[in-house]
Amino acid sequence: MTEAVRLTDVSKSFGAVRAVDGINLTIAAGETVALLGPNGAGKSTTINMMLGLTRPGRGTVEVFGTSPDRAVQGGNVGAMLQDAGFVPNATVRDLVELARALYPAPLPTPQILRTAGLTELADRRLDKLSGGEAQRARFAFALAGDPRLLVLDEPTAAMDVVTRQSFWAAMRRYSAAGHTVLFATHYLEEADDYADRVVVVAQGRIVADGTGADIRSLTGGRTVTFDLAGEGTAGLDRLPGVRAVEVRGDRANLRSDDSDATVAALVHSGRSFRNLEVSAAGLQEAFLALTAESGPAGTTTSFAAAGGTTTTGA
Amino acid sequence: MFAFFLFELRRLVREPRLFIFTVFMPVISYVVFTGVGDTSGQSEGVSLATAMTIGIAAYGAVLGAMSVGSGVANERVSGWLRQLRLTPLPPIKVVAVKGVLTTLAAIPSVIAVSIAGRIQHHVTMPIGHWALLVLVLWLGTIPFALLGLAVGYSLPPQIAQPATFITFFTLSILGGLLVPVEVFPRWLRHFSETLPSNRYAELGWKAAAGHLPSAAGGTILAGWTLLFAVLAAVAYRRSTATR
Repeated sequence: MTEAVRLTDVSKSFGAVRAVDGINLTIAAGETVALLGPNGAGKSTTINMMLGLTRPGRGTVEVFGTSPDRAVQGGNVGAMLQDAGFVPNATVRDLVELARALYPAPLPTPQILRTAGLTELADRRLDKLSGGEAQRARFAFALAGDPRLLVLDEPTAAMDVVTRQSFWAAMRRYSAAGHTVLFATHYLEEADDYADRVVVVAQGRIVADGTGADIRSLTGGRTVTFDLAGEGTAGLDRLPGVRAVEVRGDRANLRSDDSDATVAALVHSGRSFRNLEVSAAGLQEAFLALTAESGPAGTTTSFAAAGGTTTTGA
Repeated sequence: MFAFFLFELRRLVREPRLFIFTVFMPVISYVVFTGVGDTSGQSEGVSLATAMTIGIAAYGAVLGAMSVGSGVANERVSGWLRQLRLTPLPPIKVVAVKGVLTTLAAIPSVIAVSIAGRIQHHVTMPIGHWALLVLVLWLGTIPFALLGLAVGYSLPPQIAQPATFITFFTLSILGGLLVPVEVFPRWLRHFSETLPSNRYAELGWKAAAGHLPSAAGGTILAGWTLLFAVLAAVAYRRSTATR
């Protein structure tokens, strides 16, 4: 199995801020991986290090067995970054033709335009594109050279729902052709729907690594909610099975590994409550639980079936 | 690299400001400055009309080169340079292409003002001299292209543009591109002769008379070129430094 990306014990600080804190990550060629995390989790810094735009403070980064710079210069990498922009006085077609000329084995122009949904806009000036159209132009520029590794940092920001769907359809076709795709997102559904593997990042560390279903199963799958009915929250966190307590307005949300035991204990506690509900926890809850619980010595939860490497935070 | 050159050349040709800076403004300046006074007489070893034609052609050429060079500030801020950095095109080639294009921005002014001079003051010279004039005024913009790039790689766009204009006007006026240095006091004239703008126009004045550049002029221009090259290199390195 060829490795597309290998990060070994990588850390990066900006001043006093530890943006990335001891990440170990291996991505096999052909995988589609989502880097999922809230803003400021270290996703962009991690991506910038993979692309050679930022040097790690500690640890090593390899892309196809060589340095990121060499992988980029060899035409193995295409990237769509949040802060990468275009210049005026050039058309979409000019841009695509430029990208094709820069890479050793590019895709045909009509295919690039079709994949990015830009066929109708080929002769439009880049400075006349809307936000979503510009994102598609970035996608076209990134994939034009048919790179083995495609890196997308928050690719669907500024896209409307329709554009977003066609974008992901295009991305799927690209990854189905055997390419490695890594994308960063803070949309949980995107990670779950479009990636084979989801790597959850929080506070510069990998806190979970597996399929979307794996991540969801992490919290035991149940949420117990009820109205506090005028009483406080004292003791709720000590009910059996409860992993986390959250209060939204007058309503308590208990994440529980054993909802039956939690409800039984709640009833016997004698406290008042109203409108009791038990529901399966969604990815949202799983995500919040994971990112909230990553303390200073947070550990990584990983799943052998997903092909991810098992690691422990530094 | 050639594809990138063509891409950038096409963008340059489509840029409306280039026409305003390097054709419209120099021609208007020429008409105004040479229209108000007496243009008979001699200056810089050629007729005053010829000298002023060349001075204002040089003025437009310097403006073209410096404004295109400092336009890099926009490309830096928009993230375009970052985007290119993620392709197989090495950054040094990006700079090389930019440098060549920046000097090319000098040529429209030389041609446009020559035509204006021909029409308004019947300025003529042998075709060989004129070809030499275009050549030296093209190659002579190298220091100004480097200065523009130094500004573009070091300052944010909203500061780069006024900084470019202030530098450009100072160099043009003190260098005798708009008003012949003969009217300057003696001390100012000596100072003027140390400026790259004056020595750049001198390349043109010599070419119009069929002469090659003077040794003193060539040395002074080379000195400024070296200085601006160092500034541009430092600014470039700082702007692309990997954090």
